[in-house]
Amino acid sequence: MPDTTGLSAVFSNLSKAADKQQLFDTAERFSKLSTLFPGAGPGEPTIESLRAEVARDVERDYPALQAAGTEASDRGVLRAVKWGEKVTTAQRALIDRYTAKGDQLLDEKKLFVCEACGFIFLGDEPPEICPVCKAPSARFSTVK
Amino acid sequence: MYASRNIRLCNKDCVCLFVCPTGATDTETGQIDRLTCVDGCRICVDACPSHAIHLVVEHYPEPGPKSPSLTEAMIALCERKSEQERTAIAIADVASTAGAARLARALARSARILAEDCAREAGYMIPQCDATRELLGRIATDQDGEIRAFAEQLRGVTALKR
Repeated sequence: MPDTTGLSAVFSNLSKAADKQQLFDTAERFSKLSTLFPGAGPGEPTIESLRAEVARDVERDYPALQAAGTEASDRGVLRAVKWGEKVTTAQRALIDRYTAKGDQLLDEKKLFVCEACGFIFLGDEPPEICPVCKAPSARFSTVK
Repeated sequence: MYASRNIRLCNKDCVCLFVCPTGATDTETGQIDRLTCVDGCRICVDACPSHAIHLVVEHYPEPGPKSPSLTEAMIALCERKSEQERTAIAIADVASTAGAARLARALARSARILAEDCAREAGYMIPQCDATRELLGRIATDQDGEIRAFAEQLRGVTALKR
């Protein structure tokens, strides 16, 4: 079972699942429960420390999970690992581009996040189809 | 199972109005009326030329068994993604430029979606499954106040819909 660190995401995911079943009251309750587990304070809030965490996932954890998922023949895990690896690799690339170019990278550009898989896209309009999970452009939210 | 219309796909062909035996599809809000919709009827689902109507399922099967070690590994990844989300939110809070804050918020949202996907594949797929019920049971026992109240209410809901 997850400790309190991951519970917010567990419950926000269950809120989405309830919403898709049109159990709107249940979705609302899971959503509220999700906010009651803010978790412990983060580590050093710098882009360098976040970059290091993201890079560790790409280099160490996704390959290990890929092997474990294959061993267990768990298609769900393998799907999540494949998407997660691509999304996290794109996160790392975006952080690196920002570190090199600074705010100039984002000038006049919007940031979109695919609500299905988490892929971040920098541009004028969201892509027609998410390159990671193939969700349509309507599934992208704009980051304010 | 009751019919539900996806308003984004609906082309207003309105064939559902021709075929519905009770008039449940004819509503001002665009949503099919649950009270008059006939359980399991599905005539509108099959008749809709835009494929904009589906049946909402009420009873869900228990998800297949998961390897315990793999479940643990997915929970661990869920927790790391959650930590990354919090780091990104903290970066946004102290960012010196609007661009840096916006980038951090995008990274935070992305990390949350990844954490949720890990939770799903760690067995917390839907409210009506054993893993969720067990988790809510533990929280109802361990916690108090508002958290316990929510966990108890949700346990009731997820136990009924089986």
